[in-house]
Parts: sequence; C-alpha cells; structure tokens
Amino acid sequence: MKKEPIDFNKISAIIEKHRDQKWALIPLLQKVQEEFGYIPPESIEPIAEALRLFPSQVQGVITFYAQFSLKPRGKYLIRVCRGTACHVRGGKSILKIVKRELALEVGQTTEDYQFSLETVACLGACFLAPTMMVNKTYFGKLSPPKINSILRQYEK
Amino acid sequence: MTAPLTIKTLTNFREECKKDISSGKYCIRICMTGCRAYGAEEVKEALRSEIRMRGLEKSVEIRETGCQGFCAKAPMLTIDPIGIFYQEVTPADAADIVVKTIQNGDILGHLLYEDIKTGIKMPTKDQIPFFKLQNRRVLKNCGIIDPKNIRHYIAADGYGGLAKVLSEMTPEDVIGEVAASGLRGRGGAGFNTGAKWKFARQSPADLKYMVCNADEGDPGAFMDRAVLEGDPHRVIEGMIIGAYAIGARYGFIYAREEYPIAVEHLEIAIRQARELGFLGEKILRSAFSFDIQLKKGAGAFVCGEETALIASIEGKRGMPRPRPPFPAQAGIDGKPTNINNVETYANIPLIIQHGAGWYAGVGTDKSKGTKVFSLAGKVNNTGLVEVPIGMSIKEIIFNIGGGIPKGRKFKAVQMGGPSGGCVPEKHLGMPADYETLQTIGSIMGSGGMVVMDENNCMVEIARFFLEFTRSESCGKCAPCRLGTKQMLEILTRITEGRGRIDDIDMLKNIGENVIRSSLCGLGQTCAKPVLSTINFFRNEYEAHIRDRRCPGAVCESLVISACQHTCPVGINIPVYIAAIAEGDYVQAAEIIRERNPFPAICGRICHHPCEMKCRRGVLDEAMAIRSLKRFAADKYFETVQEPPPPFPKTQTRKVAVIGAGPTGLTCAFYLARMGYPVTVFEALPVGGGMLMVGVPEFRLPKTVVQKEIEYIRQRGVEIRYNTPVNVNFTLDDIKKMDYSAIFIGAGAQKSQRVGVPGEDESLHGLYYGLSFLRDVKLERDIYIGRRVVVIGGGNVALDVARSALRIHGSGKEEREVHVVCLETRDEMPAFEEEIEEAIDEGVFIHHSLGVKKILSEQGNVAGIESLAVASVFDTEGKFSPTYIPESEGIFPADTIIMSVGQAPDLSFLPPDSELERTKWKTLVVDSNTLSTNIPGIFAGGDFVTGPTFIIESIAAGRRGAVAIDKYLRGDTSRIVFIDEKQKITDKAIDEQLKEVEEEKLRVKMPTVPPEERTGDFREIELGFTEEKAREEAKRCLRCDLEK
Repeated sequence: MKKEPIDFNKISAIIEKHRDQKWALIPLLQKVQEEFGYIPPESIEPIAEALRLFPSQVQGVITFYAQFSLKPRGKYLIRVCRGTACHVRGGKSILKIVKRELALEVGQTTEDYQFSLETVACLGACFLAPTMMVNKTYFGKLSPPKINSILRQYEK
Repeated sequence: MTAPLTIKTLTNFREECKKDISSGKYCIRICMTGCRAYGAEEVKEALRSEIRMRGLEKSVEIRETGCQGFCAKAPMLTIDPIGIFYQEVTPADAADIVVKTIQNGDILGHLLYEDIKTGIKMPTKDQIPFFKLQNRRVLKNCGIIDPKNIRHYIAADGYGGLAKVLSEMTPEDVIGEVAASGLRGRGGAGFNTGAKWKFARQSPADLKYMVCNADEGDPGAFMDRAVLEGDPHRVIEGMIIGAYAIGARYGFIYAREEYPIAVEHLEIAIRQARELGFLGEKILRSAFSFDIQLKKGAGAFVCGEETALIASIEGKRGMPRPRPPFPAQAGIDGKPTNINNVETYANIPLIIQHGAGWYAGVGTDKSKGTKVFSLAGKVNNTGLVEVPIGMSIKEIIFNIGGGIPKGRKFKAVQMGGPSGGCVPEKHLGMPADYETLQTIGSIMGSGGMVVMDENNCMVEIARFFLEFTRSESCGKCAPCRLGTKQMLEILTRITEGRGRIDDIDMLKNIGENVIRSSLCGLGQTCAKPVLSTINFFRNEYEAHIRDRRCPGAVCESLVISACQHTCPVGINIPVYIAAIAEGDYVQAAEIIRERNPFPAICGRICHHPCEMKCRRGVLDEAMAIRSLKRFAADKYFETVQEPPPPFPKTQTRKVAVIGAGPTGLTCAFYLARMGYPVTVFEALPVGGGMLMVGVPEFRLPKTVVQKEIEYIRQRGVEIRYNTPVNVNFTLDDIKKMDYSAIFIGAGAQKSQRVGVPGEDESLHGLYYGLSFLRDVKLERDIYIGRRVVVIGGGNVALDVARSALRIHGSGKEEREVHVVCLETRDEMPAFEEEIEEAIDEGVFIHHSLGVKKILSEQGNVAGIESLAVASVFDTEGKFSPTYIPESEGIFPADTIIMSVGQAPDLSFLPPDSELERTKWKTLVVDSNTLSTNIPGIFAGGDFVTGPTFIIESIAAGRRGAVAIDKYLRGDTSRIVFIDEKQKITDKAIDEQLKEVEEEKLRVKMPTVPPEERTGDFREIELGFTEEKAREEAKRCLRCDLEK
C-alpha cells in the first residue's frame, strides 16, 4: 500500500463547517486527523485562513499536542502505555518487544502504512497493566507471547 | 423519549423508570468499560446468544454497566437478585452461567472469588473484603446502572438534587450547603469547593463559564475515567447545580481524547439530558438556562492545569499563565470561570440530596467525605476503591488491595503521580488525607496509588517521572523547562552507573529551585518524586553511584540478569542453569564455585533472594534456582571421584583466617584461588561453624558440609582445628608467624538472653537456641520434657522447635512443642516455607505473646508468665513491642528454649586489644573493604553484622578475599563488583528459547511426607531427579541473552 493522495474536497468540507467559528481550531484539527489519520501539511494554510489565524498559530497548536501528527500514519495506530502502573509492571519490555516485532522506533510508521507506533502517557487502564491500544481497542495484562498474537491479528 | 420534563413531572417519570427497570427479572450486570480490554464484549455476546437460544430474553436482562471496581478480576459480572459475583469469566462459561446458575440456582465454583489468605470461596460481593471494606458513595451507581441510559440514572434518584435546587434553594443556599459539607477539590489541590464557588459567584460579569476538568492525565489515576464511563449523568448533574450556584450560562467538559469510551458515554449523556430538559433553555421549565459542550483534549498533560486548560478550550497551545487573575475572575474569554474536577462534581448531587451534615459524617476533621483511589501496580486487587478520607494507606493496600502479589515485599506507594511523592513502609500507617501526606513530601493528589515492591528501583522510578514531566513541560518558563532536563540528565547518569556522589545534592538543589520558581503546578511539583525518593531511598541512589548496584535489579546498564544481580555473591545463574539444561552438571557446579564454594549447602538452605527477582515469576512461577543448585552440586560429588588439584601458589605472602565457618572458609578459598598460601584457625574439632552446629540435620546433613569443606581443603586451604584464638594464642602471635594479613570470621554464636525475671541459666530444663541445636547435632544427651516451649519467631526458633519434636527419649509420643512469639504470622521473621513445614509437622505457634517471667519450681522450669502483645513495631517500623496491660497468663512448660537471637562473641580478644569496637560490642569495620582500624586486619560476616543469611556470610568472605588481595597489592580503590557477561554456546540458546513461551509451572521439590518426618532427623527435601532438573532448567527465560 502506498500513501494515498489527499482528497482536498474532504478537507474543504471539514473546514467549511467550522469557518469563522470561535475556538474551533482544535476540534477542526481533530476531525481532519480522524479523517486522514494525520494532518496533511497542505491543509494548514486553508485552516488558518478559515479561522482568521496565522499559519504559524495553526502549526504551533499542531506541534504542541501529542495527538496531532503531520506525517501520515499507518492503518493501525499502536499506542503502548508508558504510565506509572504499566512501568512498574514491565511496560518498558513490552515496548521493546513491539519495537522489535514491527522493526519500528516510536513515532515511525511501517513502509506499507499498516502500523504506526507511539507511546502514550497513560491509558487509564492501569488495573490491566501493562497495556496498549490498537486504534480504539484496549489490550491488557500483556506478555511477550500475547503481543505476538495481537500483532498477528492486525497483519495484512 | 419523553418530552422535556418539569420539576413536577420528574417525580412521576422517576417512578415509571423504576418500574420499567425492576420488573422482577434476572439481571446480569457486565462491565463494558474497563473489562472490555479483557474480553467482556465476547462474554456478553456469548451470554446474549445463549439467552436467545433458550428463549429467556424476557426473564433475563443483560445490562452493560460501567466499572464495578474490582478490575484485577476482569472480566466480571454480577447476577441479581441472587447477588452472585463471578470473576475472570470467559465466553465458554456462558452456557453454564445461564443453565446452571440462572435456571438451576447452582453456583459455579471456578468463577468465584477466592480469599487470598484463607482460600475460602466467596459467592457474593458483600463477603469479599475488597468490597466489604469500602464506602461507595460517588461510585454507588458505577457498575450498577447502564450509563448509556438516562432512565437508569433517574431511577437511582438521579437529577433529584437538581430538582431540589431549582425548586427550593437560592444560589447562595447551594453554595452554603456545599461549603458546610466541607467538600474539597478532588483533583488534588484540596481547595474548599464552596469557597471556590463563592468567588465565582461574586465576580461580576454578564457571562460566566462552568468547566469540568476531565483531563485525567496523572499516570496511574483512573477514577475519573470510571466515573465518566460508568455514571456520566452524576457529573453532569453536579455541573448544572454548580452552574446554578455561580450563575454560569455555559459549560465545558474537557475530556481526554485517550478515553474514547468516556467521550462516547458523555456525548450520549449530554444528548439525553438535553432531550429530557435537564440541559438547555429553561431547565425543567425553571428560569435557569445552562448548556454543556464536550471538548476533547489533544494529549497534553499540562492542560490539567486550569489556566492551560482554558487556553486549550480557546483553541490555543495549552500553556499556563501566571495567576492572578484567577479563573474565577478572568477565565475563558476573560469571563469568570469555575473549574472543578470530575470527582468533585460527582459529589455534589449527594450533598444536595442528603445534606451537608450527612456528607460530613465521614472523613477527618479537615477533610470530609469519601475519596476514590485507583489502586494499581504491584498489588493483588487492582481497581477502584472508595473509602472515607483518613483511612490508613496500609488498610487500603493490604486489607482492601489484598497486599503484594507473590509474597514479595512492599517497597513504597507513589501517591499523586508525577506531582506526588512516595510513601515508604515506615509511613504506611498514615491516614490518606490532604494534610498528613504533605508532611512527608507526598500528596493525596487525584487519588492514584501505584504500589511498588522490592523489584522496583526507586531511582529508576524518579527518572521515569522526570522523563514524563520533562516531555510534558510546555517550555514557557525556564525553571521547569531547563530544570526537568537537568534533573533527567543526572538521573539517567545515575541509573547508567555513571553517577557522581555529589549528584544527590545537586538533584536536591535543582529540585528545590524548580519547585520554588516555576510558573504552574506542573513545574512546582515535578521535582517531588525526586526529592521524596532521595529522602526515603537515599541508600538506593548511593548503591547506584558508589557500588554500581541496583537494589531492585532493574537498571539495564547495571544488570545483565536480575537473579545474578540480586545474588549477594553474583553467581552467573542463567549460565549454570543453561549448563544443567544441556546436561553438563559438573560444569554447572564449577560455574557456581566461581562465586560460591558451597553449592551443595546453598542448594539446601539458601534463602534464594534471586528467585524473588526471577522474571519467569512474573509470567507464572519463579525458577527453582536453589533446588537446581543443589542438583548440580550433588551430581558433582556423585560423578567426580578424583580430588580436585590444589590451586597453584603464586604468591609468597601468607594470610591467616580465624574461624572455619562459611565466611572464613569462603575467604580462604578465594585467597587460595588467587595464589595465596592460607591457613584457617578453628577453635572446634570440626569446620563449618553454624552450618555444622546451628542448622538441623533434617535441613542440612553433616555429610554435605563435610564434603564441601573437604573440597576446599583439597584446593589448597590449610585448616588447623582445635586451635582457638584466645589469651594464649593472640592475633599478635599470629602476626609474628609471618602472616601478612588476618581475616576474622568468627561468627555470631552467643545466644542472646531475653532478660526477664526468673531467667536463670542454671535452671533444669532451660536452654538457649544455638547451644541446643549444637547439642542435638552433636548427638549429646539432652533432657527434654513433655511440654516444650520455644520462645522466638525467627528461623532458629523454628529449627529448634522442629528439632525438639524429633529428639528421641521417653514420652516422645505425647510431646507437645509450642512456639511463643511476639509477632503475628505476617510479622514473623521466619521464612514462610519454614513456618508452614513446622505447622505441618505438628508444632503449635502462639502469636502476639510476650514473656514477662520464667516460672520455676525447685530448680526446674515450670512455665512462663505471658503477656499479650499490643504491637511489635512502632509507627516508624522499629522493633518496640508494647503490651496489653493486665493480660497476664500462665503457660506451663517443663522445657523452655530461648531463641531470640544471637550475637558475636568478642571474648577471645584481649580486653586491651587495639581493635575498635562499637557500642553494640561488634568490631568497627569499613563496609566496603571490611578493614578494621588496624592495617592488615580484616573482619566480616556474622561476626561483624550479627546473624544474617548464609549467602551474606559467603559474600562477606569473598569480599574479604578481594579486599586482602587489594591491600597486599597496595591498591586503595573501592571494591566494586560488576556483573560479567559470559559466553555461551549457540546450542544452549536455541534449545532453551524454543520452550519458554508457554505457561509452565515450576517443578516441585519432592519431600518426605510430614507424618514420616518427625520420627528421625533424615533430610526432608529429596532433590530433583535428572529428568526433573533438566525440565526445570529449560523454563529459564535467559534474560542474560537480551543484553
């Protein structure tokens, strides 16, 4: 799979919904990201224009928040929890194994755009530590064999 | 849905909802929030299809609820009205649940909660300590109602508080009631909520905002998530009431994007509340209008800070700004804004409905009501716990939380996440409230409790928090931006073994300055984890810096495998286990002897701290390292008949060792290995010290000790028996014999007296533990009566008791052996295994009992006068027993064996010896080099430290050998033992790693059955067969290969 070309009509539709709205930047960016999995850099200027901001302000908000990415992400976003409870229960080695299995560093995406790997401060599922999330699904009480079977589930 | 309600129609509507819901059906409540991560969805589907298949849809309701709290046992469900609680349910259980439990009323044993201590199965929630000890107010509906259905909330008296406020209270009344309740901000700061609302009310403005801070960012806290997911309307109702009180027109809930279920449930709840007229124009047809909008956070911890949160709502970078002005004066858009946390709002409907007086009925003087804590980390019952404020931390972790898994030792609990501090064991008795925790540098915070055990490294934990705050620091103010980076660099250096000794003071200095000068809460608290770990665990920092040791065996740069790092002598455990797996047992024994000359002895009686750190133990059960060691050593002696060659003598200077116990012989062995001629002087006719005379035969046979001493002798160590060092043969005499260095390892063999009236050593029938064990081992004649009382709760006391059971003599059949100790079972210093074995054999143990007096009649022991113990340790955790007044009792006995501890015996040193002593009558030695104040004289082991474990004695001997070698070579540097990586064959790796993935429990050590044991002194443990040993060895995960 290759990086898909961006459908600018979709971006414009999202932007138009929020045009001139007060405090709309973050919700707008969230919608763009939900649609495309990332925020295409090409969309910064039209967004700024619609909300009467400088492009640098838009860029500033995108880079400030961990949720937003300017790079395309994989079909499945794996977020390994690095919260305290996961940490004391061996979350570090879970991250190590995921990195090894996918041959990815944190923040990277596989060449086929199947997987992206990120860490998250805390998933709030500390009772199941160590945990990770694939898109919106939680996985808990992870162990090395379990990680392998989870990843296999999402392979092409 | 019904058209918008009014205050009047709400009452009828509520009755309608109640009727709808409780129609006499069975109700299976299953958590569809947290438990979803553990397969609750599949369980629900399986139940649903089972019910459909049997046509039971009408009589059985499956209710999707929020968190039921006991997250450790996910997925869980409750079945009402029978009240059954099932845990760890799988889809395969669905048929049995429907047919057996619901249709036939049978309980499924395998799905029940089993008490951790007693093993008793408990079918209903109210029996389970986890639930029984809580006071669930805020969480009352959580796990009971369907959070996606507003009718459930209304049926549970929901929105009743709002109706009351709108119909009979002025805004001032509401503020007065909330202030009177004493409710304080549950986000952590603990500011009085009523007072906060008053400020916002008093700010003049045309428009005000009400904000709910649901940006639960503290790693380790998940109570807000549970409330939002499981009972969202409670939060919404609290917000509406607050908005009425301060006069707000609009509200925002700022929720984490990482909580998709919470966001979904909030969206549904807001929509339903609007439809029924609880939100929007003219709420419940009153004059009051208020509406809520949901804002999703975008992943920035700092947005939990209120001014940063406001910036984020306004669509900007979430950076804090200086206060004043406070949000109550100028918040969103410059308008007065009130911000409270989720749990704070969730308390409001309770206060309004039940009144401030009821609310303040629980809690402490300064902190009222209950608090929800999220228990996570190394604790058995992870989950959500709601208790009155002020309950002790110990009660929360140990009684509700069920203590630490796998018998490990508690180390600390982190309270309040990265903004908080740790609470160590000695402060566990503290009440969990706002003020008390602050006195020790911790905070109650939002209620996150992450428990850490002995296998966590406190320096690494501090580093972890700093890594977090460094990456979350917004960068606006310099102290936080630079300070977190500097502290992180120093902490990283320490965990990598590159620390400097002044790093600790530097960390404190930077930390205190960052706290003092940062702009917002993030910076003002970020150094707390560092300062509190330095305060309570300075020794761990020093171990990293000075000795390159990580006491938790965690830090990757210092540790190759946790077992090896934890072993006091650093045996390369994974490699010798690999040798066993390959069938090379002699090689395995030799690998052990690199660090420990007593593999057969340690294979029997070592307390194996390595096994506590074993990573396999996280997966299923720890490796049986001690038993494998015994197997390798026994195989060695069985197969190798040739005596080993003596080590070549390459050195000319001679070394003398005093005492042929484990410390002395180890020291001599490694000195000989380094080429020194060594002579050991031993007072007794036999070697082995405590091993020979202090450990009973059934745990360690004499022949095993003899074999290992013989091995050491064969390698070139000269042992002179019957050569006591005393006034006739002094240390000076030894020096004159041309020894260049002397090591004293004389042990701790003097039994301590209890020091109570009537304790007269000449009494017939009164013995002391160690001399008793020695007499038994040497098969001397001992009088022992029918009723034996052993005083003490340590391992020696139990060895004594078990020996007393076994001694031959008249009346052996009727003999009763009682152990009387100060401690409760949990507090006893003896090992759990030994306690269990003693009980199995028929020893009676009496806990919490002290000795006031020894009773005698005509020179014979008659019994003890006992006193009941109130507590053994003080609040600081120090040994300081207190007794219950007038609790005296008589405990008759005809034999009493005092076993309360041993001490070194320095009487062999002449009184004018220049060796410096402590006030506890032990020698003063340098803990690193074991050197005394006289150059060339070293001392170590029990002789210096008092009684410890065998492996610690061996470690002291090895350290002594290294120290003496350095001394003789003129090397004055510190001794640092670094784990070394050894080469291993590829074959071993392949063979082992193939089999480690699936769960496999450890091989049990075969033993003589208890009923056959007490007849004589035969060894209880039988040892592994070759087949079993190899099977066990293959379970090793080979952590050493990852590096």
